[in-house]
Amino acid sequence: MIWTAFAFYVFAFFTVFAAVMVIFARNPVHSVLYLILAFFNAAALFLLAGAEFLALLLLIVYVGAVMVLFLFVVMMLDIDFVALREGFARYLPIGLIIGLLLIAELMVVATSASVLPGAPLDVALPFAKFIGMDNTQALGTVLYTDFVYPFQIAGLILLVAMIGAIVLTLRHRPDARRQKIGEQVRRDPARAVRLVHLAPGEGLGQTESD
Amino acid sequence: MLAVNPILPELLLAVGAMVLLMIGAFSRDGAYGLIRTLSLVLFGLAAFVLLAFVDSPADAFGGMFRVDAFAVFVKVLILVAAGFALMVADDYLAYRGLRRFEYPVLILLATVGMMLMVSAHTLLALYVGLELQSLALYVLAAFNRDRLRSSEAGLKYFVLGALASGMLLYGISLIYGFSGTLDFAILAERLKNPATVHPGLLTGLVFLFAGLVFKISAVPFHMWTPDVYEGAPTPVTALFAGAPKAAAMALILRVLMEAFPGMVEEWRQLVIIVAIATMAVGSFAALVQTNIKRLMAYSSIANMGFALAGVAAATPEGVRGVLIYMVIYVLMTVGSFALILAMRREDGWSEEIEDLAGLATTRPAMAAAMAIFMFSLAGIPLLAGFFAKLYVFLAVVHAGLVWLAVVGFIFSVVAAVYYLRIVKVMYLDPPKVEFSPIAGSGIPFVAGVTAALNSPLHLLFIWPLVLVAGIAANALF
Amino acid sequence: MNQFHVIVFGPLVGFLIAGLFGRRIGDRASMLLTSLLVSLSAVLSIPVFIDTAFSGGQFSVPVLEWVQVGMLHFTWSLHVDTLTAVMLVVVTVVSSLVHWYSIGYMDEDPDKPRFFAYLSLFTFAMLMLVSADNLVQTFFGWEGVGLASYLLIGFWFKKPSANAAAIKAFVVNRVGDFGFSLGIFALFMVTGSVGFEKIFAKVPSLAQADFIFLGHQAHALTVIGVLLFIGAMGKSAQILLHTWLPDAMEGPTPVSALIHAATMVTAGVFLVARMSPLYEHAPAAADLVTFIGATTAFFAATVGLVQNDIKRVIAYSTCSQLGYMFVAAGVSAYGAAIFHLFTHAFFKALLFLGAGSVIHAMHHEQDMRRMGGLRPMIPLTYLMMIVGTLALTGFPLTAGYFSKDSIIEAAFAHGGSIGEYAFVMTVVAAALTSFYSWRLIFLTFHGRPRASEEVLAHVHESPAVMTIPLMVLAAGALFAGWGFHEFFVGEARGEFWNGALAAGGGRVLDHIHHLPWTITYLPTVMMVLGFVIAFWFYLANPAVPVALAQRMNGLYRFLLNKWYFDELYDLLFVRPAFRIGRALWKIGDGRIIDGLGPDGVARAVMAGAARIRRIQTGCIYTYAFAMLIGVVLLVATVMLAERGF
Repeated sequence: MIWTAFAFYVFAFFTVFAAVMVIFARNPVHSVLYLILAFFNAAALFLLAGAEFLALLLLIVYVGAVMVLFLFVVMMLDIDFVALREGFARYLPIGLIIGLLLIAELMVVATSASVLPGAPLDVALPFAKFIGMDNTQALGTVLYTDFVYPFQIAGLILLVAMIGAIVLTLRHRPDARRQKIGEQVRRDPARAVRLVHLAPGEGLGQTESD
Repeated sequence: MLAVNPILPELLLAVGAMVLLMIGAFSRDGAYGLIRTLSLVLFGLAAFVLLAFVDSPADAFGGMFRVDAFAVFVKVLILVAAGFALMVADDYLAYRGLRRFEYPVLILLATVGMMLMVSAHTLLALYVGLELQSLALYVLAAFNRDRLRSSEAGLKYFVLGALASGMLLYGISLIYGFSGTLDFAILAERLKNPATVHPGLLTGLVFLFAGLVFKISAVPFHMWTPDVYEGAPTPVTALFAGAPKAAAMALILRVLMEAFPGMVEEWRQLVIIVAIATMAVGSFAALVQTNIKRLMAYSSIANMGFALAGVAAATPEGVRGVLIYMVIYVLMTVGSFALILAMRREDGWSEEIEDLAGLATTRPAMAAAMAIFMFSLAGIPLLAGFFAKLYVFLAVVHAGLVWLAVVGFIFSVVAAVYYLRIVKVMYLDPPKVEFSPIAGSGIPFVAGVTAALNSPLHLLFIWPLVLVAGIAANALF
Repeated sequence: MNQFHVIVFGPLVGFLIAGLFGRRIGDRASMLLTSLLVSLSAVLSIPVFIDTAFSGGQFSVPVLEWVQVGMLHFTWSLHVDTLTAVMLVVVTVVSSLVHWYSIGYMDEDPDKPRFFAYLSLFTFAMLMLVSADNLVQTFFGWEGVGLASYLLIGFWFKKPSANAAAIKAFVVNRVGDFGFSLGIFALFMVTGSVGFEKIFAKVPSLAQADFIFLGHQAHALTVIGVLLFIGAMGKSAQILLHTWLPDAMEGPTPVSALIHAATMVTAGVFLVARMSPLYEHAPAAADLVTFIGATTAFFAATVGLVQNDIKRVIAYSTCSQLGYMFVAAGVSAYGAAIFHLFTHAFFKALLFLGAGSVIHAMHHEQDMRRMGGLRPMIPLTYLMMIVGTLALTGFPLTAGYFSKDSIIEAAFAHGGSIGEYAFVMTVVAAALTSFYSWRLIFLTFHGRPRASEEVLAHVHESPAVMTIPLMVLAAGALFAGWGFHEFFVGEARGEFWNGALAAGGGRVLDHIHHLPWTITYLPTVMMVLGFVIAFWFYLANPAVPVALAQRMNGLYRFLLNKWYFDELYDLLFVRPAFRIGRALWKIGDGRIIDGLGPDGVARAVMAGAARIRRIQTGCIYTYAFAMLIGVVLLVATVMLAERGF
């Protein structure tokens, strides 16, 4: 057990450290890399908690897809960081006050850790009905039964996201040359090829196929 | 009866939206006209199914989804508001070259989201409904992607909406952590003993509340509103100002009344603070606006402040007042936007209040309708807006918060100034701008219907409305 | 709907039509319509008078439910008893005669419909006042006649003096009205009602009641009586509040005849008579009424001696005669007060309309020093003026003889120091009245013509539409006293008044038939004395008054300047009021109220709005930051509140 605890603190420390560095790194590419580090550590924490499916999901989806996309975006954008930091000093005092206030509030919350009477105290423990199942199976079991409603709505949300992405970005350029597969397949020699006789020394002249 | 019976109207709309999406995707020209008409039919059908076939009260999906008189009332309002917003869009979309079939489809999906919000009975269902609605609205705000302001509006709304969602989720997680449940009924049960109110739960409630009132643009979570209202295409603004506000307000009512009746003393202060700030900012900031869309943004902020005052009453009467307020607010606002959409000159829409000068001589009917909306928004007796404020303030007074009613009254006097200024500009200033005729019958229809309902004719329907709203309000207690 | 409604609302209809559509229907139609409607009221009110006065009828005709607020509950109804009936006859008859007369008098005025509309409005308000069955309705009529009076005094609003006079009349009346309204409030406080019937039913039980105000104890009914009398003083131009009446002569002469002689100014007397059951139980207040009335009768008569404006002489005469009426009301001879009101309406209207005829003939010349010798040129007017003067001075068997003498006798019969004071004052005033009345006649009609040739060439007798009303009034002035004194003040009065006045029209009146003959003939002697002196001064030996004025210059100036009341008020009230007003306007209103109020709030609002707009940067960071601050502060607030902060 002691090693588990040790591992938890190590990963937790790096998660927090990486998260802080995301904010404080001067180079945005470094920020993204720190974020990836944070995700890796979070995935490790998931593993420690026995949530191997979530851990791998985090790696594959976030690190594998989202973060790479981020990296591309950051590297393609020309962000003027000097301009971004303008006013930083001006807003620093009030920002600090608000931050400290928030921390104080959360400390109050954390230090009075008791739960409501009647609240089940075993929420952190494995559910009885999932004992013996692996993560994926257990998630699948609830996702399509107890939580089919939010799951389906999530599907609708993704549909909207898809429509949105298309609506906001898809453009039909009339001058772009696009593949029209049906037409290409249906093409035959009779329409595609024309034989012309040319007398030597004469050019092709005006033809209709240009 | 079918197990999906309670969710039948939403199902109808969602499936219909997908079918229309397919029709649009596979037809050569996008078929905007057809899809728009079918969408309106779907709205009507959904309302019909809701009223005729859905059994209420009923639960579905293990208590995540609840349909009761309250939900039915608000859903009908949402369907009407969304339908009106779709009707007034034709001329604008045609003129700007935005007649794309995704527009009605997105409105349909947003409407599904709103209806799910109203029926949400767990914090999880609340969140997914909210996100479905919000995402569709973000896209709609940026719908005119070639105009910088529209894209900016979409982006701003999206980023700030994401922040609000973050707060909402943070609040939900705190509440879940300290109470062990997401279900409203169980939450209410566990909060019965008010002595056990916990700072964690309190913090969670504040964050949850912040995430929710962002959607009704309450202060200090309102700052996106003027920019988005101004930047988004006007028909989209007409949608924003109506249905989503009703849905979010209904959601706030349901969460506070059904899930947190045990913490009423705590959240009442919250509501009062936010309500006063909202009324104040909405009323004062509108005074210096020159753009009519921004003005309407602040107007809707101020109106939400008044409605929130009714929430603070925390009684069935207060909920009834808020429901009546939302109905009349939606009618006033959608009608006003219909007229704003009719303010088209040769070279595009004018959005300056000054351009309305002399409307009474150039377009007497339009000026008269606008005057009705403005007087109604100002809460002048003989117009519907008066009753809206009356029932809210009455409930506030009966709840023992006389001072809050007085504060609200003072701000409504301040707010009256800018509404009356528009009337003054229309009726007393010499004409400046000639508006072109607009295409389609949607705008005259919506403006006519809403103006009639706001005019003294409302006296015919106000009593049934009060009765029905009373039944709907009692469903929450 | 019955004849009462027609009587009261007919003039209102005339006012509305002439006022709203006067320009459309034309001058002629407006004049005829209003005159006919008022005449109709007059014709209908005579049978009403006969019914109530001689058949002992009393009616209350409901019009509307009016006010129902908590304890305060009363209807709007027309109450008709003998007192009302007398007033109805006086008001409608004089008003209709004045309407017809005005058709001739206002011949050259471009605003005829407006004038007739105002006249009809006044008539309606006056009828409202006299037919009221509760104090609020009385007050409505009271203010209505005040408004009409204001409008008519300022009818020629292009004349600054007319505007000033109208404002003065309005403001001075406000002082009286303030007292009147306080009186109504006080009555409501002690009786819980504003209806006459209920008030009078309660009054006897309140005879011993006291008010305690700021530690002072005061007899309740006396306080109420004094307050109501202050209202009456304002309306009836009694001394201290009399200054507006002479200035009111700026209005057209028919207005002076109708409002400032025959009807409106008598409203105060009417009010005291109406409240007679109350004054019966408030002897101190009644004594005050007598004192003020007697003083006014004397004071106004002295001022009348030296005035040169023909209308002002008659105005001061009116003031003086009103004083007589109050003397009668104060000594509990209410019948005599109303009797004098009744006869005075005829002869004073006659005098005013006659003066109007003179003025009309002289092309709006009002100064008697520029008249003289008009008798052969306008003989009919002269004759009418003589009749009016005889009645006013109390020539035997004319109207004034009966009514004024009964007042003087009542004052004597009342006895006591106040009675004696009133007696002396009224007797002296009777001589003065005779003097200034005949002075007016001699200066105007006799002697050498003093007007310019040009004016004299155009002097002409007035048209029939003006002279016929004069003759009707002259008939009244000659015979109203002889015909009615038996009913108003004589043996038949108990039956005649039928409870409309307290104590059957007055306790004192029983004694006046048993007075020594010296007292009875004293007024007539005084009348003759005044005539003789006037004859000597202005016909026989015109140098005497000039010499007298030079010898007693101080007294002359004192009288000519109306006892310096206007100057005193100017010094005491008007100028300080202007100073205070200016100060309040510049500092109070301008700097404090506007500065902190509308302007300040507006500035603050705009500053606040601008601040909100400045925060509205358009930057997404700002917005997000604002949200974060908001949520953190909200959490802090609820947490602190939860801990009991």
